[in-house]
Amino acid sequence: MSDWVLGQFSDEHKLLEAARELSQESQGRVETYSPFPLDGASQAVGLRRSRLPQLALVFGLGGAAAAYLIQWFANAVNWPLNVGGRPPHSAPSFIPITFETGVLISAFAIFFGLWLLLGLPRPYHPVFEVEAFRSASTDGFWLSVEAEQPSLGEKVAERLRALGARQVSIVSEQS
Amino acid sequence: MDPAARDNLLDPIPLIAGRQDSDSLTRIIFNPVWEKTRPGWWLLFLLGLGGTGLLIAAISVTLAQGIGSWGNNVPVAWAYGITNFVWWIGIGHAGTLISAILLLLQQRWRNSINRFAETMTLFAVMCAGMFPVLHLGRPWFFYWLIPYPNRMKVWPQFRSALPWDVVAVTTYFTVSLLFWYVGLVPDFASLRDASNTRVKRIVYGIFALGWRGSSRQWHQYKIAYLLLAALATPLVLSVHTIVSFDFAISQLPGWHSTIFPPYFVAGAIFSGFAMVLTLVIPARRALGLQEVITLKHIDNMNKVLLATGLMVGYGYLMETFIGWYSGDKYELFAVTNRALGPYRLVYWLLIFCNVLAPQVFWSKGMRTNVIVTWIVAVLVNVGMWSERFVIIIVSLHRDFLPSSWAMYRPTWVDWSLLAGTIGFFGTCFLLTLRFLPIISATETKELNKELREERAEASAA
Repeated sequence: MSDWVLGQFSDEHKLLEAARELSQESQGRVETYSPFPLDGASQAVGLRRSRLPQLALVFGLGGAAAAYLIQWFANAVNWPLNVGGRPPHSAPSFIPITFETGVLISAFAIFFGLWLLLGLPRPYHPVFEVEAFRSASTDGFWLSVEAEQPSLGEKVAERLRALGARQVSIVSEQS
Repeated sequence: MDPAARDNLLDPIPLIAGRQDSDSLTRIIFNPVWEKTRPGWWLLFLLGLGGTGLLIAAISVTLAQGIGSWGNNVPVAWAYGITNFVWWIGIGHAGTLISAILLLLQQRWRNSINRFAETMTLFAVMCAGMFPVLHLGRPWFFYWLIPYPNRMKVWPQFRSALPWDVVAVTTYFTVSLLFWYVGLVPDFASLRDASNTRVKRIVYGIFALGWRGSSRQWHQYKIAYLLLAALATPLVLSVHTIVSFDFAISQLPGWHSTIFPPYFVAGAIFSGFAMVLTLVIPARRALGLQEVITLKHIDNMNKVLLATGLMVGYGYLMETFIGWYSGDKYELFAVTNRALGPYRLVYWLLIFCNVLAPQVFWSKGMRTNVIVTWIVAVLVNVGMWSERFVIIIVSLHRDFLPSSWAMYRPTWVDWSLLAGTIGFFGTCFLLTLRFLPIISATETKELNKELREERAEASAA
């Protein structure tokens, strides 16, 4: 159970400035919300590099290897067919499917890996309790602090107002 | 000097017209989704449904009666089925090109048209996919194309170009769908938050997956989107290359040619851009999107059309030259038969539509004239269909042995399948226009912010 303190900022510069300050004060996890990705938001809240590229590479190579193995097993080992004297294991003609399958598996890994890393789908979230938060996907710049101790909620709200936030509200998460 | 005049001097035709902010852009882009259904939409939708009905009728006849209901017969074993397949799949190439390649090249004019092109890609690939499956003769056994362990103990023959095609086209469709959906999620969240009824909020909310637009989400999202674009870029080039292998690795004069892969890819981009223009020009007017799809976008697309048109023209020239230079009498015959044989009208139509018509775009006045652009784009669509007709039917109908020469005549089923897929494509597209924002609101807002910052910097300096 924790308290979510939310506040809206008038522009992205003030938002990022506040995010930077609050991240250093460590009163809870800081998160910014914007209708489009903001340059510097990841640094402001201190995120590490994404693991998605490694995931994509591993699955892409794995998919390509599996595709080659299936073709080799089917056409050269399990049921070799002599078509015009061409060798049953003819690597050049296995390349197109190997490449395409690598791309396919890698794309699946990126797609499902993304939702897994983001914890989506998640239809409910405490921030949605605030009606004005609807503007976060249209033109609003919002910031939230997840205060782990309920006693901190009011203090963080005060701090947010001091940093220039409007519409500051506190949502208590039900456990 | 006042700021508006200075903007005009810096950038004569802007990417986003007028002074917009995030709120006004959201309103412009979402308005077609929120407004009441217009009578014009219903009219076109009914027309599209009629076409879809014709498609269903033609497919039923094909299934009940067999491929005999088509005009194909030896020597023209591949006729409209494959012509339509290659035509549609070519149209489907602009989507990923605009989305992925132009994203990696940081071409900002893609932002207003990428969703358009991606949506078009999905439906075009659906239309394309129908033809090879129907052409199987017994389409209910299509799953034999997939390598699965079975009691018949048979496997697909992977040394043939046709299984390559299956994998390439299904991969292309799947990756395009994932890319399209990932791009749509922030817009679904925006639709969810802007919707005025509970039903809309729930439906858009389900598709939005609970997107909040938080820094942690954007952090992973940006990487995922870039990675998908990086994968889609070689994919788009490989798909039409593999389609061209269907022809290029065979021995038939007119098909057996190493120029096919690059020439097919250029042709695919050419026809894809032509189809985007064909759809974008009426849609931007009808839906009031002139502020976000400006003449700058149309100008740039016309430049791509001109460039790829020249590449395709070079392909035609080289085919003819190699036909003569090879010294092979069958190759030479294939070339002369195209230009002077019984189907010569189709060949000259293709030269007119694909090589001559786009030359008007050397002039800036023509590139920014929407009516001229639309007419040329439609001509290019016709020309690219004729190109596939010439490659497939004209090469097949007179091959090595004069005793086996024959003429090909399409039946009503052939024509209905072509017209029916156009109707189906239109129906799907109209439904998208009705329920989804056809321009990425997220990317347009981001671009608007960048453009405004640049303007601010320019006026400060």
